[in-house]
Amino acid sequence: MAHAAQVGLQDATSPIMEELITFHDHTLMIIFLICFLVLYALFLTLTTKLTNTNISDAQEMETVWTILPAIILVLIALPSLRILYMADEVNDPSLTIKSIGHQWYWTYEYTDYGGLIFNSYMLPPLFLEPGDLRLLDVDNRVVLPIEAPIRMMITSQDVLHSWAVPTLGLKTDAIPGRLNQTTFTATRPGVYYGQCSEICGANHSFMPIVLELIPLKIFEMGPVFTL
Amino acid sequence: MAAPPEPGEPEERKSLKLLGFLDVENTPCARHSILYGSLGSVVAGFGHFLFTSEIRRSCDVGVGGFILVTLGCWFHCRYNYAKQRIQERIAREEIKKKILYEGTHLDPERKHNGSSSN
Repeated sequence: MAHAAQVGLQDATSPIMEELITFHDHTLMIIFLICFLVLYALFLTLTTKLTNTNISDAQEMETVWTILPAIILVLIALPSLRILYMADEVNDPSLTIKSIGHQWYWTYEYTDYGGLIFNSYMLPPLFLEPGDLRLLDVDNRVVLPIEAPIRMMITSQDVLHSWAVPTLGLKTDAIPGRLNQTTFTATRPGVYYGQCSEICGANHSFMPIVLELIPLKIFEMGPVFTL
Repeated sequence: MAAPPEPGEPEERKSLKLLGFLDVENTPCARHSILYGSLGSVVAGFGHFLFTSEIRRSCDVGVGGFILVTLGCWFHCRYNYAKQRIQERIAREEIKKKILYEGTHLDPERKHNGSSSN
């Protein structure tokens, strides 16, 4: 989860998120250099003694400041498209979970191996145990195995919601009447948090998502199915 | 940004953010690129000044040198970093396979020894 006043990305828990962090670093370096150049140009403009009100054209400079930004945009677009298509790959998921957004809770359905369906409500502050996270912890977590491709089918029963888990690099809109799909493979066990990411009413901020990722061996023993 | 470190884990370095957003301590290759860029900027700018004695143009050359050297070091370092990560991933997978299949007909070492003896 994010810590207080965190601005940067969370550590990656999936290969796609690792790629996204790499892309973010790459783009940020380009942005830094552009900002540095602009600051220098600003400094020169403010300190120059040269003034000429009759300059009418500067063909070479205009050519440079047209072609250079185009090159920069290509340098940013190519890795971006690569990750976009990588995230769209569906590589034979082992498990399919349905996630249905409601006002203001999530319903999860494990229908591959039996008919487990449960709701996941945020724990109200009065019900928190010591160590629980306010506005993040839920009564029933989504328990999933690591190192297995998982398919999430996301929809909504009422208004727009969005199922997001930043550490996995996931954010998929839950749209009533539509089924959206996202796939991921978690690389390390742990408890990971997300929050609804589409305004959906009064309690939009109070319908979090909690994934509990456990080793496949333990998942196969069936902790999920003993609720 | 990571969660607070567990006991025994190395502590995250205190972040230094250039222009308020580029975290050079915790972004791989950033510190290395900026340092080499600064060195390149000083060498290019000062070198130009020594030859021409033009201050403003030398400053422009310095800034240009900083941008080019930083970018060059950045791409070179990130390329090597990506190669290293791929090699680490392959090594991890091979170690896992070795542990899982040791002694069985799927043992990678047995397959490798079999093909080299043929």
